[in-house]
Order: sequence, then C-alpha cells, then structure tokens
Amino acid sequence: MDEEYDAIVLGTGLKECILSGMLSVSGKKVLHIDRNTYYGGDTASITPLEELFSKFKQENPGEKYGRGRDWNVDLIPKFLMANGLLVKLLIHTGVTRYLEFKSIEGSYVYKQGKIAKVPVDQKEALASDLMGMFEKRRFRNFLIYVQDFKEDDPKSWKDFDPMTQNMTTLYAKFGLDTNTQDFTGHALALHRDDDYLGEPAVNTIRRIKLYSDSLARYGKSPYLYPMYGLGELPQGFARLSAIYGGTYMLDKPIDEIVFEGGRVVGVRSGAEVAKCKQVYCDPSYVPDKVRKVGKVIRCICLMDHPIANTKDALSTQIIIPQKQVGRRSDIYVSLISYTHQVSAKGWFIGMVSTTVETDNPENEIKPGLDLLGSVAQKFVSISDYYEPTDKGLESQIFISQSYDATTHFETTCLDVLDIFKRGTGEDFDFSKIKQELGDEEQ
Amino acid sequence: MASVKIPEQKVILVGDFGIGKSSLFRRFMCDTFINSSDRKATLGLDHYSKTFHVNNRNINLQLFDTGGMERIASVTSSYYKFAEAAILVFSVDNAQSFHSLSQHLVDITMWAESAKIFLCGNRIDLDSEVSDLDMQQFCEQCHGLISATFKTSCKTNEGVKEMFEEIAKSLVENNRSRLELQALESHGFKVHPPEENVDSCAC
Repeated sequence: MDEEYDAIVLGTGLKECILSGMLSVSGKKVLHIDRNTYYGGDTASITPLEELFSKFKQENPGEKYGRGRDWNVDLIPKFLMANGLLVKLLIHTGVTRYLEFKSIEGSYVYKQGKIAKVPVDQKEALASDLMGMFEKRRFRNFLIYVQDFKEDDPKSWKDFDPMTQNMTTLYAKFGLDTNTQDFTGHALALHRDDDYLGEPAVNTIRRIKLYSDSLARYGKSPYLYPMYGLGELPQGFARLSAIYGGTYMLDKPIDEIVFEGGRVVGVRSGAEVAKCKQVYCDPSYVPDKVRKVGKVIRCICLMDHPIANTKDALSTQIIIPQKQVGRRSDIYVSLISYTHQVSAKGWFIGMVSTTVETDNPENEIKPGLDLLGSVAQKFVSISDYYEPTDKGLESQIFISQSYDATTHFETTCLDVLDIFKRGTGEDFDFSKIKQELGDEEQ
Repeated sequence: MASVKIPEQKVILVGDFGIGKSSLFRRFMCDTFINSSDRKATLGLDHYSKTFHVNNRNINLQLFDTGGMERIASVTSSYYKFAEAAILVFSVDNAQSFHSLSQHLVDITMWAESAKIFLCGNRIDLDSEVSDLDMQQFCEQCHGLISATFKTSCKTNEGVKEMFEEIAKSLVENNRSRLELQALESHGFKVHPPEENVDSCAC
C-alpha cells in the first residue's frame, strides 16, 4: 500500500467501479479500496439469502425459501435502459463480455388503482385503455411528432422551438389532457417529478426517444437486467480496472484522508499511508464533505407469485405517477425472479421505492405494496441521499452522489461522467480501450 | 444466411497469485513465454478464444485470466459465473500454492457449480516440492470433483497444448447433451452495439 498512485478510489459501488475502470483505462495508476470484505458496496447483490436476513436483523429463515445461495438480492433496485448510457459504457469498455442480460417482460403504468401497459407506438396508443377515443388520436399525433423529431433538423420541429419552449406548451400544442401528460412524463420520459413541465421540451423528447429506442433493441420492454443481479455490474468494471493495472484491496478500513494545504495527498489505513494526487469516493467515506438532501425508502419483498394483471410476467416494472396517488414524486415497483438467477426456483423479488416526502415513509409506499399482493417477507430500508458540498476541484477529492430512487441507471452514469470530467479535465475517450485481439462476439 | 454456431465454453484459471496463470494464458493465446513477468504485455487482455476440433466437432475455449485481482484482494465472484470449466493451478515448486487449492476449490463450487474442474501442476521445469502422490491424494479427498490432472511448464511448453486439447475434448463429450438441452431453454444474452453503426457516442 505504501506507494504513490495517481488516484485512490474508495468504495466499490457501481459508480466508483466505473470510475476506477475509466481511470485505469486512461493510463492512470489506480488503487481501489473497500472497507467491506465484498465488492459492490450499496450496489452489491446480497448472497446467500441468510446474509440478507442477518443484515436486516431478522431470524434465519431456515429452509422456507429454498437454497440460500440461489439468491442474489439487490439493495438498490434498478434496470438498464437497453439503449441507455450504461449499456453504451458496457459496450465501449468491453465489460459486457462478463455479463448476460434478460429483457424485463412488462412495463406498466398505474392509473386509478389499476395498471395498464405503457403504450409506446401508434398501434399501442390506439389500443391502450389508458385514454378515451379522442385522446388516443391526440396522443398518437404526439408520438408521431416525437418519432419524426430530429434535433439537427428544425423543419421537423414544426413551428415549435423545443430548445426554449417548455413541455407544458408542447402538451398544449397537441391538446393532451393531464392524465396523458402524467404517463407520458413519468412512464415514458421517466421523470421523477413534475419539474420537467417548465423545462425546455427537448429534454423530454430525448427521454421519450430513449425509451422507444430502448424498446426497439430487445423487444418486450426497454429495460434489461443482468443475470445474477446488479452486483455483477460493479464487479465487471472492477475487473476492467484490474486488467488495466488497477490494484484492489478489500476489507481495508480507511482511517484518514490526508490533506496538505487543502489538497488531498494520501489515504491512511492504520499506520500505512498510500500517497495520491486524487481521491474518488462515495459519500460514506467523507461524512464531513457531503450534505443530506433527502431520503429514499426501498422495500424488498420476497414473494411466491408474479404481480396480478401482468400476464404472469417473470419480471415487471410498474410506475405509479405522483399525481395518481397525491404525491410529488413517483413510486416505482419492480419485479425480478428465478429466471434471472436472483432467487430460488419459484420465487420472486418485488421492490417498491420512492423519495421520502413524509414522516411516515412506510405508508407512502402502500400503493406499491398493494400492487404486489401477498408477500412472504418484507425488508424495509430508509437511506439518506447525499451529495457533495463542493465539486472537488480545489481539494481534488471527487465524491459521488448517493443512488437516487429512479429505476434506471441514467442519472448514475451522468454523475460518473461528470465526476470523470471534473477529475481529469476531459471527457472520457472511449477509443482508449484496446480492440479485442481475440474473439469478436456475435 | 445459415452459419454454424460454434459452442463457446468459458474456461477460467484459478489459483494463488504469481504461480503462472498468466503464463498459461499467454501460452494459450500466442504460444510465447515471458521470463520476467512483464505484466504490461497483457495489460487490457484478460480473455482469449481458440477453436479446437474434437471428434468432428468444433468447440471454442474462451480462456479467462484473473487480471491479478487476487494479488491483494479476492477475485470477484462474477469471474466464476458462466464458467464451464475451471483450471485449478498451483506451482510444483511452491507447496503453499498447493495447500491453498482447497480454498480455491470451495470458491469454484460456490460460484461456478456446474464447472468441470481440472488440476494443473505448473512449473515442472523447477524442483518439485509437491509429489504426484500429493496430487493424487488431493484428488481423492475431493471426492471425484477433479476431472483430470495435468503437469505443465510454460517455460519449456511441456504439457500445455496437451492440457488444453484434453480439456476441449472433455467439454465436448460432457456438453454434447447439455448443449442440445440448453438450446431449448431461454437464455440470457449479451448486449451489443446497434446494428447500424451510426452511433458516434462521445458521452
């Protein structure tokens, strides 16, 4: 450990592992440390199942749930958008070769106590029971507009300036009612709250395009999920870092981050000090350099059945738009199962999560839990959401934000790319990754 | 466009740090040997595929190297996932690397349940601290978990080619029926860049 590094990365959560990989690939000498005995931090998948029970201080479940090590339970539920940033990062870094994915079978949105398939193309729009007949026509026209929209071709903007005019104006242009706006903004554009209405419409158009492009990649839904759980993702990037020369240490407590003249110069563990020019870490390693900006509640449910009215899908995503249940932020429900090697045969893992708004967070997720139906075992966690107090340009310590309640990795990747840019002063150059010598996949 | 898909079999190297796993990997990949372990030579390369022709069938062995993670930390569990075979490597001139095999074996059975396991005593060009009897006894203690044992030297290239050929043969026989079964099951897939390569992503 007593060496000098370009960068020391603390914590092996997904963000830190992607950063570590990108830094190593860029030729930096990286030391990557975690205080835990396992890779993944908060983004690990917990295995065996007994470990999850003891983590939540519950009694060992015995044989009830089949073989414990068939379970890999994520603490933070998320899916990958098939055409999203994380998939791009996986492909460009070659990390994809360590992983296998499955499509999430269904994508639903909640309306007045019931769930309906998220309509994404013209045909589905006309068949959807989310809207009345006239509204369907208007929504269809809106979808066609988005489909034909090209950012570099103002002709396709059709007398509307998406760069300056906001989304409310665009909705008004097509005469969409609030109900349609609701599922468009939340289930298609995947906005967490209604702030987007006042922002330039182009952001939302981009997000709807991401949704439909993602859907077009592998069918069924725009979401992908890795076999054996999300914990495989940080491990894949850690491996990338290692094969480009990164050094890994687990089970290593960090006692001090050493500064000189306001600038980070090293990291101390016991009597050992590793010198470095930069530190990258998650908020848990620097409690005095982050501020709490909110809370996220996540509820993990072990179930022996799929969700009702989803055609017995073995994996599902349901979005409950805020307004439907009188809230300011959406509730997300997701389901994965034994088909992804995350549970024993016949078992399902349901997850409900949202941004906490009241003093009784468990009550807030009730609409989501009601959708799941009977649950064999429930684990509730409420975690603080932190962000760094500064951008780290002076101190050269770059801190990631906590994982938010969104059900996909887009914000995760944006944070990572932003940190990389702040840390290195440049955008990540994907061409720095060596071409394969050997096999070409596919 | 009918193209015959050659079955791809993931084979992993497992064992202590510094006992010649990467040398085996390098032999497999380009049949060379580097004396002072100049790691930079394989920087960024951790897996390599090679086609073997066995009993009128083609099979691709995709050999994975650890990437040196085991130097201080442990190898990630995802390294083991999807492995069809694991080569448990130790150095015959290093008794300690032989004694830690049981822990490595536990890891393999934990994370790569269905993998066939092979034992490889490497560096037979050096003075041996581990006898054939030791190896035999180890296999017996493992209750038939070890499919075959090999002795190799990456320096002299003795036994290396034979080992990989033997493993390929064993996997073809072993997987014959399983591969056919697998074709019927729904499987996960890899993510690939979109077909039309208009993607000029600079993000």
